[in-house]
Amino acid sequence: MDYDPMVMDDEALGPMVKISQADSVRVKYELSNVDLAFANSLRRVMLAEIPTIAIDLVEIEENSSVLADEFIAHRLGLIPLNSEGVKDMLTSRECDCDGRCENCSVTLTLHAKCTGEENMHVFARDLVPTGERINQVIGTPVLSDAEGLGPLILKLRPGQEIKLECIAKKGIAKEHAKWAPSAAIGFEYDPHNKLHHLDLWYEQDPKAEWPPSEYAEWEEPPQEGEPFDYDAVPNRFYFNVESAGSLPPDAIVIEGIQVIQQKLASLIKELSAGEGGDGMNGDYNGPRSPEYATGADGFGGYTTPFGNGGNQSSWGGAGGTTPYGTTPYGAGHSGWS
Amino acid sequence: MECRLRDMTYAAPVVVDIAYSRDRKKIIRRDIPLCRIPVMLKSAKCCLSGATNAQMEIMNECPLDPGGYFIINGTEKVILIQEQLSKNRVIVEADDKGGVSASVTSSTHERKSKTYVILKKDRIALNHNVLVEPIPIVIVLKALGGLSDYEIMELVAGGDARYQDDFLINFDEATKAGVYTQQQALEYIGVRVKMGGPKKGRPGTAPRRSPVEEGLDALANIIIAHVTIEDLDFYPKAIYIAMMVRRVLMAAHNPKLVDDRDFVGNKRLELAGQLLSLLFEDLFKMFVASLKGNMEYFFKKPNRTSAYDPVGPISTQGQSITQGLNRAIQSGNWNVKRFNMNRAGVTHVLSRLSYIAVVGMMTRISSQFEKTRKVSGPRALQPSQWGMLCPSDTPEGEACGLVKNLALMTHITTNAEEQPVRNWIFGLIEGVQPIRMFTGTEMHKPGTYIIHLNGTPFALTRHPKQFAARFKTMRRRGHISPFVSIHINEHFSAIHIATDEGRICRPYIIVKDGKSKLKPEHLRLLQLGKATFEDFLKRGVIEYLDVNEENDALIAISEDDINQSTTHLEIEPFTILGAVAGLIPFPHHNQSPRNTYQCAMGKQAIGAIAYNQFNRIDTLLYTLVYPQRPMVITKTIQLIHYDKLPAGQNATVVVMSYSGYDIEDALVLNKASCDRGFGRCQVFRKYAAELLQYPNGRKDRLGGIQKDEEGRTIAKHACLDKDGLAIVGYRVHSGETMIMKETPIDQTSTGIGSDRGSDDFRPAPVNYRTPDPAYIDKVMVSNTEKDTAIIKVQTRQTRRPELGDKFSSRHGQKGVVGIIVDQEDMPFSDSGVVPDIIMNPHGFPSRMTVGKLFECLTGKAAVVAGRRDYGFGDAFRSHPVEEMGRVLVEHGFSWEGKDYFTSGITGDPHEAYLFNGPIYYQRLKHMVQDKMHSRSSGPRAILTRQPTEGRSRDGGLRLGEMERDCLIAYGASQLLLERLMYSSDATRVDICEWCGLLGYKGYCQTCKSTSQVTQMTMPYAAKLLVQELISMNVGVRIELEDQFPHPA
Repeated sequence: MDYDPMVMDDEALGPMVKISQADSVRVKYELSNVDLAFANSLRRVMLAEIPTIAIDLVEIEENSSVLADEFIAHRLGLIPLNSEGVKDMLTSRECDCDGRCENCSVTLTLHAKCTGEENMHVFARDLVPTGERINQVIGTPVLSDAEGLGPLILKLRPGQEIKLECIAKKGIAKEHAKWAPSAAIGFEYDPHNKLHHLDLWYEQDPKAEWPPSEYAEWEEPPQEGEPFDYDAVPNRFYFNVESAGSLPPDAIVIEGIQVIQQKLASLIKELSAGEGGDGMNGDYNGPRSPEYATGADGFGGYTTPFGNGGNQSSWGGAGGTTPYGTTPYGAGHSGWS
Repeated sequence: MECRLRDMTYAAPVVVDIAYSRDRKKIIRRDIPLCRIPVMLKSAKCCLSGATNAQMEIMNECPLDPGGYFIINGTEKVILIQEQLSKNRVIVEADDKGGVSASVTSSTHERKSKTYVILKKDRIALNHNVLVEPIPIVIVLKALGGLSDYEIMELVAGGDARYQDDFLINFDEATKAGVYTQQQALEYIGVRVKMGGPKKGRPGTAPRRSPVEEGLDALANIIIAHVTIEDLDFYPKAIYIAMMVRRVLMAAHNPKLVDDRDFVGNKRLELAGQLLSLLFEDLFKMFVASLKGNMEYFFKKPNRTSAYDPVGPISTQGQSITQGLNRAIQSGNWNVKRFNMNRAGVTHVLSRLSYIAVVGMMTRISSQFEKTRKVSGPRALQPSQWGMLCPSDTPEGEACGLVKNLALMTHITTNAEEQPVRNWIFGLIEGVQPIRMFTGTEMHKPGTYIIHLNGTPFALTRHPKQFAARFKTMRRRGHISPFVSIHINEHFSAIHIATDEGRICRPYIIVKDGKSKLKPEHLRLLQLGKATFEDFLKRGVIEYLDVNEENDALIAISEDDINQSTTHLEIEPFTILGAVAGLIPFPHHNQSPRNTYQCAMGKQAIGAIAYNQFNRIDTLLYTLVYPQRPMVITKTIQLIHYDKLPAGQNATVVVMSYSGYDIEDALVLNKASCDRGFGRCQVFRKYAAELLQYPNGRKDRLGGIQKDEEGRTIAKHACLDKDGLAIVGYRVHSGETMIMKETPIDQTSTGIGSDRGSDDFRPAPVNYRTPDPAYIDKVMVSNTEKDTAIIKVQTRQTRRPELGDKFSSRHGQKGVVGIIVDQEDMPFSDSGVVPDIIMNPHGFPSRMTVGKLFECLTGKAAVVAGRRDYGFGDAFRSHPVEEMGRVLVEHGFSWEGKDYFTSGITGDPHEAYLFNGPIYYQRLKHMVQDKMHSRSSGPRAILTRQPTEGRSRDGGLRLGEMERDCLIAYGASQLLLERLMYSSDATRVDICEWCGLLGYKGYCQTCKSTSQVTQMTMPYAAKLLVQELISMNVGVRIELEDQFPHPA
């Protein structure tokens, strides 16, 4: 980037983070001195590409509840599991065990039977991690409510029983939303619309009709009669990251940055290795969705099935040639001359 | 529930007490079973009536089920409400040629017939089905006896000179026919009565009656049969006919006085009870006749071995009643010979697609008009159906306007006793006299009002207003049934009192002296449960008005509209809509066809069906995995408990254009939402098999698993258990067997002596057919009524939304999923809200569904404020939009529901603020998975060797006539040849060039030669046609010629 007149000399030129609020479920911070594309990539990565673990396979031994097997399985999958240390785990595609091992999966069991007179509620608390784990917390269901019960999985009538074994695996939210570490991510910039990226629609008075953003006081309101700066670029972004529970919010941000770094690193590696003839399909080590893996194989950029690419027709030759030889139509030597 | 699962009929036995004499002793036997009559669910005789929720639960029934249907052989059948023109009422109509006719359909217990009084070329005649030709009216009136010409004139025209002049000419008709006396008139009529009826074709049974007797009989019993003749006193009938004539004359003078057939007051609704009673009566009469025959046959025997015991025959013959009723309800064919009734499609299978479909079906009314006729009259929205029939809920297309639905508070009257009403008529005020005592002059004097009771002139009064007011007072006090209606017709100087069944009526709050009779304390009592609706009815706070009486009332819509002349107050304006239209929030802000579309679509929405939905085994059952109560509801939704059995989900919708995959109403779905369970549904399918027993004692049986040579189960039987039934929880794929039924090869042999067939069994398995796999959900084994075993297997699929699945909001805005987008690519608001659905804004301008915008705004306000009570969108309430806007601003949102949204792809904000909020979306039953179909080559029909048709048979896609025309016009002859022959049913045939007939193997059977036989390719269907024609003695010769002849 060239010299930016907007940046004062004494300001740091690198990206800057200013945290305004942080607790166990959300972190609010301002990211500045980055461009819009970067800020948005960070948001996207935090939504979709941070690996966590979630229940992926359910082996049902006994289910006499009213809910169907796949119904329960779906509910189990959406329960947030503590994903601390998930970085040390492998996805089952990367792991060279057959089936599963403690390096690529966490096993949880659920066994509940209603023996009383009243209907019984089965909560996430009742999911018990069993077997080997890479650390002591990974895979434990997140219980963030006051009673420490966690999400309700199902209800059992007297005599009904549920017994199952779940296998939690590492994955990313691109594949299924259950692997998403974040619930919602607030993202905003330019609360006073100085950049005119927005077109405020109003009936009488935009000030009265549009409630100001909570970040409005963070930035200077535009002065009355201030000339509009055409070259201004957004550079302060307000994030509000809410965690779904599997990772603490600060970890989500840090992980997000790391994922971006990894992706960039592999991109740079590809580009620099490109002359070496390694081709397009190098070893990309970051997490990716299964479609991504298959779709990228053996497909070198964009070509048409006709092979010759570009704007040419499959008949070969430029201009008005057809298989029957040159026609009077088309470019070049016209039959009308 | 048990009946439904076991394919039985829900019916109750009918027992009779019989008395007969044997050996001079009177024998009385009680409680002989006669037959079984199907019982309507939740009717008074049903075990579910009045059951509490807990009792319903024990019986495995849904407490919210509306009842009102029958279960015949395990299927739920509804007898639709039938709409008809009212019986026993005179309807005056004008035809195209300027003629006027009055007609009346007389309906008594004995028969149903229609009588016409026709004005044609200034002459009036009476016509009826039993008459060969129309009979001049004067002759009819003369035949009715005791009337002089003067009296006839008086009766018809009264003192009005205009009517007298018009009627005068009719006397000439009688004179021309030479009819002067009653005797002559009767003879004239008697000759023209069609011979027929039961006496026909049996000479010698009854002596032929004289024409006079014939005429007398016809007049007394057949023509206008509902006016009964007592002691040969024909005067009431004469008055009736004269009244019809008078109406015709009046209508001829003033065309405004013709009646409107489509007026709801002239309609009667026939309910299941009436239809069943007709059918039962008919069947019972047949039963009595055949029992009599049986007895006669028995007593004719010269020497009887035992005394006659009627019990056996009664029970066996009674079976025919049971079967007759069952068959009628099962097939919907209602045939009652005495009433010339021959209706098909009276009953329908109860649609259990969603709860709302069931409710909708219970209120459905089908009309008797033919669907094919293109008349608009009966289909049009009638002003008089206000409040009675739902203006929105009618199908589109051919049945539009003919199939209607009841509005919320509509009540259909049952028959009230006439006699007490008759007594009250004379007791109410002074000066009401029976009509029998008056002549025509007095009847038609101005200011004299004729009181009609169910359409028949009955009494006279000179104080109609006072009479009607007193009558209403008595009714409000509870002395007269609340469903008896009275109204005054000023045009005809008539008061009409109706007590008959099938009138549509509706409750209103009575207003007196400008004040509503319903006071706040009444409502308090109602809330405390100390008073019921019936109490209000008894205390004269509320009364029912039928359509005719409504015309005499001035009804205020709200309490503020009441003025001094107001007579009634509307209970609640939204009740003019039906139960199905009641789902729509803010329907009064929508363009009306949109509400109609939603009424059709609400019935296709997938959702919770009943509390017992997982105990049921239906042929096809769709349920939503996470149904939600709508964010914006209506009072109707609460009343019909849609909030307890909802069919849809509250989706966060953003109205914007996105990705281009949203044109033409397509929707953009958020992939993460689908992952989390949005629109997820379960599809249950039933596969059933019955193990029959054959006449020779052999039975179907269940076979075991087949193994291959290595002892492994064959793939087809992967999900079978040892007993030959599928294992619950197993996944079945297409083609796999679920019930391994086997039938005996030998089903006919007697098994006696050497007549023994094979002992082998042939497999007759029930296989899973659908291409996508499913899980076995339930397996049921039980017995039917016939004591044969029945096996039902239910399969289950769980489906998440996919491209092409159909969704709809509650405002007639349907759309298919155009693309499913990753969450990170979706736009998001400053607070991080990501929509579930993106809807294209082009859906709004032309559809004008403002109600949807209101729903969104109201829902959003309710959500941000966390207040459920905000979420009401009742029809015709003053809309709270300003209030909702204020709430939104209070919570930091824009008052108009728009928010700052950022593009998920670039991170740039969208230039415009986007309208967003929760909108209730229904998933409709049309899913891509059930429709997807393609074929390259596959099965062919046996007869024509052309590819089969339809997805279920893996059929081909037809290149139809119009497509063919296109190809011809384009000149693509080779493509045409390929599509129509090579890819379809091309065959090589041998044709003899000599005789032009088909040969085979290069040999012509006709010419006994091989010399001239050549081969050609032609469509097999063409070859078939040629051969079929030949088989019908139509010779077809094919002449061949060279397409490219060699130069000679």
